[in-house]
Amino acid sequence: MTEFLQTIILGLLIGGVYALLASGLTLIFGVMNVINVAHGAFLILAAFVAYSLWTATGLDPLLSIAVTTPAMFAFGWLLYGGTIRRIRTAGPASSVLLTFALALVFEGVMGLVWGNTSHAIRPAYFNESFAIGDLFLPKAQVYGCLVAVGVLIGLYVFLARTWTGRAIRAAAVNPYGAALVGVNVAAVATMTFAIGVATTGAGGSIVGVLYPFLPGSHYQWISRLLGIIVLGGMGSLPGAVVGALLIGVGETLTTTYISPAWTTAVPYVVIFVVLLCRPQGLLGARLREDVAV
Amino acid sequence: MRRLIPRSRWGVVLALLWLALLLYPFASDDLFYQNMIILSLIFAIGATGLNIISGYGGYVSLGQSAFLGIGAYTVGLMSVRVDASPFVWVPLAGVVGALFAMGLGLVAMRTRGHAFVIITIAFLLLTQLVLLNWPSFTKGSSGLSLPLAQWDPAYQNWPFYYSLAALLAASVLLSWWIRRTKLGMGLVAMREDEDKAATVGISTPTYKMLGFVASAVPLSMAGGVYAYYLNFIDPRGMFDIVISVQIILSVLLGGRGTLWGPVLGAFIIEPLNEFANQSLGGGNSRLLIFGGLMALVVLFMPQGIVPAVGGWLERRRRRGEDAIVGARLESPLVMAEREAPVGHEVSAGRTLLEVKGLEKRFGGVRAVDDCSFAVPEGSITALIGPNGSGKTTVFNLIDGTMRPRGGEVWFDGRRIDGLRPWRRAHLGLGRTFQITRLFREMSVLENVVAPLRSFSWRQLNAGAVSGAERERAEELLEFVGMARYRDQPAKALSYGQQKLVELAQVLMLDPKLVLLDEPAGGINPTAIERMGEMIRELNRRGTTFLIVEHNMPFVLGLCDPVLVLARGTCICEGPPEVVHRDPRVLDAYLGEDYVHEEAVRA
Repeated sequence: MTEFLQTIILGLLIGGVYALLASGLTLIFGVMNVINVAHGAFLILAAFVAYSLWTATGLDPLLSIAVTTPAMFAFGWLLYGGTIRRIRTAGPASSVLLTFALALVFEGVMGLVWGNTSHAIRPAYFNESFAIGDLFLPKAQVYGCLVAVGVLIGLYVFLARTWTGRAIRAAAVNPYGAALVGVNVAAVATMTFAIGVATTGAGGSIVGVLYPFLPGSHYQWISRLLGIIVLGGMGSLPGAVVGALLIGVGETLTTTYISPAWTTAVPYVVIFVVLLCRPQGLLGARLREDVAV
Repeated sequence: MRRLIPRSRWGVVLALLWLALLLYPFASDDLFYQNMIILSLIFAIGATGLNIISGYGGYVSLGQSAFLGIGAYTVGLMSVRVDASPFVWVPLAGVVGALFAMGLGLVAMRTRGHAFVIITIAFLLLTQLVLLNWPSFTKGSSGLSLPLAQWDPAYQNWPFYYSLAALLAASVLLSWWIRRTKLGMGLVAMREDEDKAATVGISTPTYKMLGFVASAVPLSMAGGVYAYYLNFIDPRGMFDIVISVQIILSVLLGGRGTLWGPVLGAFIIEPLNEFANQSLGGGNSRLLIFGGLMALVVLFMPQGIVPAVGGWLERRRRRGEDAIVGARLESPLVMAEREAPVGHEVSAGRTLLEVKGLEKRFGGVRAVDDCSFAVPEGSITALIGPNGSGKTTVFNLIDGTMRPRGGEVWFDGRRIDGLRPWRRAHLGLGRTFQITRLFREMSVLENVVAPLRSFSWRQLNAGAVSGAERERAEELLEFVGMARYRDQPAKALSYGQQKLVELAQVLMLDPKLVLLDEPAGGINPTAIERMGEMIRELNRRGTTFLIVEHNMPFVLGLCDPVLVLARGTCICEGPPEVVHRDPRVLDAYLGEDYVHEEAVRA
């Protein structure tokens, strides 16, 4: 029983981190109808940046998000203006292929800069745990989850309370309608992409602490994140949170009760099952497809 | 692109290139270049296959290299267990590849666009993971060693070389055959607009499934040869997503949807791959080169080399000719004298279409709520109602584009609400759209030929635009007055012209009932008059119509009976002059606006 409880709690902790990582991906999809396949590569890039900051200055990776988040925001802004903006209206194939191409380019760049070996950020508290009765909660996971949830709440407040946030949500629901009531949809798209990429700034720092990583890790991450947003319903932010918690728990259960070797299969299986049985995901509404358009 | 080998000097160039390919091993024994050609052949086979599903069918797959691995592992696993030449197992590799493609096709039945791409990534990585995690069967990450080649070393790699060249020739033939038959036409129609393709009688899941199998089998067989050629395979090397990228890049660079473009692309990409591996140390620089190249192609040359060059030559050839688009329409009087080329026996008074208690909700909105009405055979029935009253949704429920939440649809004595859209089209139910939905990249004639009145396996092999169907399509284009535009791409037509072509397109189904969604919307008064003439003429020959329209003079002059829809339910029906005055209708819809309009006119 303790083992089961422990497994569930660890799954929820990691699920909280996943929720932050998937939020940017689902936000970009919701507003722009673009699956940013390079999201995993950006995440690993942010992890490498946090790693370099940590080795150079000893700055705690969970504090360096104050640097990496704005840096990734600027990075996303520039990248959008330079590449993705040009194919916004060109259909799913173009955007998937372009972002996948970007993922490969950044995988290569990271390999050249940091090398293709496994890296890890190990702050002093890495091997420490909080003990609650029979349960023990690794400090790194607890801190990581808290930071992730904090950033996620910040994102939520931004979307719910600010004019820009409302403009983003409006553009997600109906870009034409939003344009008619004075929202500059092109600017909102740039902003959304930059915000989506900025979430990988915080996410990358946390991931760098919790997992070893190398440039090629981005495939595994993008698969996991795609599994999460497919499960939650593509484009739905609450869906991403629910999907992330379920996948987190699903992974820890698989690790404990089946085999760690099959943990990476969880998102793939989820993708197959969800798209086969309920293509709109858990919380994605199947909206009225206007057949006339 | 209909011809396998173009009949121009390009044909000569192609033939010479093939000859050079076949003679090369006799001319040189340089193993480096032999290896390069062998790998180029494999990429070319993969790219030609991918082009069938992506270029023709519009389904982009990032998991295509999985089939290379599946073929390689089929041959590898068999040859370590059975003592025979691994070549024996190459056909089996094709069969296994086909089975996996069908499995993928089943999963992908309900997905398209983004979801489909995600599925293909998951498919590739999951297959790889299963092979890695099942060492008792596959030896996991330590890989499989295949037997060494048994033949005289003097023959070098000739058996690999020629078997792959033969496979490539077969792949190109397959691709050519598909493109020129109904199968290819259906795939292209799916790429342009899958839901629309279903409403004109194309059984999209069958087409999709066949496309998947055709795209997977040659690459799986090539994978089998490749495994023997390498003598060693492991899951990471065989299920490499970068190989998928190189296959996609070959298709994009050469030109998707063209016959020879993918082959050209492969013979550019593979040498580049060798260059990256040999001179730049592979690894990261390979990623930079292929990632960078793919980004550049998507951004700056999305159509690829072959169409770009072809388009440039075509423009040069056509310089100075007048454009046909924009020419004057023929007068409606000439038109009206033509007889409609379709006809049916009509038994007056019979009900052709009946809708009972139909219901459809979007979230909390009851778009169609307990809607019942009947359309008598031989009539021109109107379905009118205020905006948002559910007219188009009713159409979508009748033609099967959407599934109702409750209620029944009966057509020609059969209950059809459980049937898929193409089955309904086969029964004689045609439909046009409020905003025209032609297959934009296809020519006007191809658009009209595309609809299918039935499904049969033999029909898949029929020429795409040929025989009696072609003649009929030309008659129909003549009837709607669009014959001059037959070779124009549909996207080049004006909106009004598209309405006419779409009408000819549904008539190709030889429908008993045609649902017209705002036939007079957004077109000029002359064309509206002409549309009315055509509907009358077709009706005189036995076609029943159900028309949604907001143009009241048009409706009231043409239709009898008139059905009135309000808040998703049919509130009134009768002859136009009665409906016209019915207080419920005046209240719900014609209401103040109409009275006002009449007053102004008076």
